[in-house]
Amino acid sequence: MSELLVRSLEASTVFLLAALGELVNQRSGVLNVGVEGLMLFGGTAAFVVAKSSASYALGLGAGVAVGALLGGVHGVFSIRLRGDQVISGMGLWVLSFGLTTYLGSPHTGPLGLPPFPTFAGLSPFVHAGVLLVVAVWFVLSRTSLGLAIRSAGENPAAAAASGVNVPAVRYLCVVFGGTLAGLAGAAYTLSYNPVWNYNFLMGWGFVSLALVFFSMWNPWILLGGSVLFGAMWQLSLNPEYVLPGVLSRYVWRTVPFLVTVVTLTVISTPWFRTRWGLAKPQALGVPYSD
Amino acid sequence: MRFGAWELSVERAEGASPARVAVGALVAVALALLLASALFWTPEAGPWAAYRIAFGYAFANPSGLGATVHRAAYLLLCTLAFLVPLRGGLWNIGLPGQVYAGALAAFGVAFWAGAREAAAPGPWLLLMPLAAALAGSAVGALVGLLRAKLDLNEILVTMMLNSVLFWLVADFIKEGGALMSATAEGESFTLPQDFRPPLLLGLPPTAFLALAASVASDFVFSRTAAGYRVRTYGLNPQAARYAGIDPLRVSVGVFVAGGAFAGLAGYHYFTAVPGLYKIPTNYGYYGDLSFYGMICALIARGSAVGAVPMALMFAGLSVGGRFAQGALRLPFGVDYAILGLLMTTFVLSHLVDRYGFRWRRISPPRAARPQPEEAR
Repeated sequence: MSELLVRSLEASTVFLLAALGELVNQRSGVLNVGVEGLMLFGGTAAFVVAKSSASYALGLGAGVAVGALLGGVHGVFSIRLRGDQVISGMGLWVLSFGLTTYLGSPHTGPLGLPPFPTFAGLSPFVHAGVLLVVAVWFVLSRTSLGLAIRSAGENPAAAAASGVNVPAVRYLCVVFGGTLAGLAGAAYTLSYNPVWNYNFLMGWGFVSLALVFFSMWNPWILLGGSVLFGAMWQLSLNPEYVLPGVLSRYVWRTVPFLVTVVTLTVISTPWFRTRWGLAKPQALGVPYSD
Repeated sequence: MRFGAWELSVERAEGASPARVAVGALVAVALALLLASALFWTPEAGPWAAYRIAFGYAFANPSGLGATVHRAAYLLLCTLAFLVPLRGGLWNIGLPGQVYAGALAAFGVAFWAGAREAAAPGPWLLLMPLAAALAGSAVGALVGLLRAKLDLNEILVTMMLNSVLFWLVADFIKEGGALMSATAEGESFTLPQDFRPPLLLGLPPTAFLALAASVASDFVFSRTAAGYRVRTYGLNPQAARYAGIDPLRVSVGVFVAGGAFAGLAGYHYFTAVPGLYKIPTNYGYYGDLSFYGMICALIARGSAVGAVPMALMFAGLSVGGRFAQGALRLPFGVDYAILGLLMTTFVLSHLVDRYGFRWRRISPPRAARPQPEEAR
């Protein structure tokens, strides 16, 4: 059972890291629906580099760097060129899906390194995830940079009039979001499930994206949501802990996705939006031109 | 950037002409193939060997050509499934899920009719595609409803439903599932002869249906009030609301139609293509292939007829790519890599539509005229 708990926390961390980066992205007004693609690329780069060099540090660095780079590419398209953010995000996802399948396939199989080091019985990514939640909450709600980020996402024209460099703030956020997506991918392939297979995420990035909406753009609610979804994900892989012998294991695999749809439906109802859902950045997905 | 008396600048364009859009699409495809050639380069064969082998197999080899045409029909149906909602400004990323739903429904009808044993004659050949279209539509209707009623992001919902339906197919064809083959684990039973659609010129009816639907789709969007309403909603939902266009009808309508096309695509590939007639172990690959339909629709800029040659070419690329992969011992995923690169070059071509190079002459500054004496 404790093994299940540990695995649940590790799964939660992958969701949390990707979703936290996307939350910061969205608070600045930039939507990246291609977060799964960034995770795929980051995870594949981390896996290939770690396997080739036998170094977790190098692998981790590669995953994070690739994520940051792709975040920057999304930034150039959506901020500098004021392109459609959905097209850019979908482009990044399909590109990553296609290229990682081809480039990663010679490395299909286990990582072949000793298990990722743990700290207090947990992967260091878990601790890093919690610290990042605290840091993001602090920056967003207690610093002038956080105010600039939030104002860029709410009313960029007003932010610019008050001296905020909106494009610079948005670039910072998309690169940060890409970095965390790359880190989430690396956490998946180096620690949570160190076996490479094509399209290994199969929807984790999209669940992370849904978690941002679920969190109402609040890092603390995001942390809770990630823990909930991580536990649910792990239980869907091990249903014998909950209802042994009831339904096939394949039906259980559908549960996290079905719950995501139901959750999204509930939080999108007018009642919920009126009562709690006022936190959505007003300028989300809208290109800014000064 | 200045070159003597001339200046080259990049400027935002208000709108692109159809000719420019067409050239942009062709350049996007050519650029993707060029980039992919670098990936497929091997010291023994050179960069173009993969394409020579791929296109040679896909279009000049009788068995390859057959596979290409069947796959093109599948991609064309997937293109329509993506394109119809796209004209309404909505992204149907749920093609794989709707394809699986269609396949499950068609095999469900066959199972119910007793296809695993000695089936009694019946209208199964009509009921199977109908069930497939209805199943795809039902999945689409849910997405359209959630989008229209609750403004729920359709990309997220369709991606979730893709995963749900992927695992549901596994449930039906693996570990003793209802549709599992009696002789092989992990795939469905094979359809008996009576349940296979007749072939005309070697092609099932769904191939002709895909072509006819492409023509009909362009007609509906360019010549009918319903098409006009969908396009208006797609271009500006706010203005469409002011004009009295019902968002619910548009959103649900386009997703129902799109889902029906995807369901038929599932029916086509798993029940109507000679040599298959079952849901195979690698059914996920066919779901992934459906994303080529998305690329076809995007590169053809919403024209279903314009997407026909695209579908044929991409079908050839994916069929031939797999063949070249084996012949040149390339890593798995040649067709996936091309898919990714095509999407990237499409995004770039989208940018080219929005920006243009302007080359203009800079007038030299006028010399000051000498003032008349009295004016001083």
